[in-house]
Amino acid sequence: MKCRRCKAEAEVALPSHNTAFCRDCFLLYFSRQVDHAIRRHAMFTRVDRVLVALSGGKDSLSLMLELANLGYSATGLHVDLGIPVSSERARKRVEDFCAMHGLDLKVVELAAEGLAIPEVKEAVYRPVCSICGKIKRHYFNRMALEGGYTALATGHNLDDEVARLFANTLRWDEAYLSDQGPCLPDEGGFARKVKPLYRLSEFETAAYAFLRGIEHHKDACPYSPGASFTSHKKLWGELEWKSPGSKVSFYEGFLERGRPAFADRDREKGFELRPCASCGSPTSQELCGVCRVRAAVAERRGG
Amino acid sequence: MITVRLEPGGEVKTFDRLNTVHQLLNRLGLRFTEALVIRDGRLLTQDLKLKQGDAITVRVVTSAG
Repeated sequence: MKCRRCKAEAEVALPSHNTAFCRDCFLLYFSRQVDHAIRRHAMFTRVDRVLVALSGGKDSLSLMLELANLGYSATGLHVDLGIPVSSERARKRVEDFCAMHGLDLKVVELAAEGLAIPEVKEAVYRPVCSICGKIKRHYFNRMALEGGYTALATGHNLDDEVARLFANTLRWDEAYLSDQGPCLPDEGGFARKVKPLYRLSEFETAAYAFLRGIEHHKDACPYSPGASFTSHKKLWGELEWKSPGSKVSFYEGFLERGRPAFADRDREKGFELRPCASCGSPTSQELCGVCRVRAAVAERRGG
Repeated sequence: MITVRLEPGGEVKTFDRLNTVHQLLNRLGLRFTEALVIRDGRLLTQDLKLKQGDAITVRVVTSAG
């Protein structure tokens, strides 16, 4: 198989684009996809400061490196979940990566915040994955606002976005369907959230990480087996195989024609948000969800 | 013999007769956009031939959480 641009031997075949690239041309293609996403949705510019959420996985580390290579001002943020072995490995990957590339990094330790995930799992009788996600988003937002960053960037790729959109559509969840997208504005106590990898598949980010020599965290979270998004990704993988381009068509079609309708609907029914009485984060109740979880952990410790 | 290391997990499998990357992925039940196939520091496309003595890494790309 030959590279579409230079006719050298290809290393990466992309059926959704009916093309293939050699190493150098694939890296160029990847950069252009990221830059196109940033400019098309006016996510940020080169004078802005961007906080990048780093889990240690291939997507977030690839995003961080690519933003730095493109000349953007990017600072990493890692949330140490406090899960024995797993979190220690993930944190080391992030710290080693940032040290190797000379990138700035901030770390939040959930254990020091009274929210170590193993304790949260014991204290709260709800699926731990959704609570863990809520806690991470809470600290991403707080750190972005307190640090004066223009935008908070996450490494969500096309497969992540399609799986999430699919799950929200299966439930016809108006609230989530109204605000899913690659760029959410800063308003009402929320930092601007951006997803510069949303045009790139998981296969493409994995290929990028390999070709750039990024050592990333590969172990699954010990608490995640059976997560619904994984099965949704497999379903979409089959659909994409039979009909290449389905994922991007589904997602871009939603952004263009679906989301505006749900945004109108949500404005009619939306909840009013106010600052949390304890931490000041936006919430529809007196205490935000994270402060309520922290209280539950403290109560279990005391009991 | 062709030796294949599967990631994540590190399981190692051996195959006596395999001609192409496409055949390897079929034997593993994978689509070629579901995994990176790596040999000697290079990514392999599905049309490439494998040869006896090859040491291959197959890295499944879907993150599980």
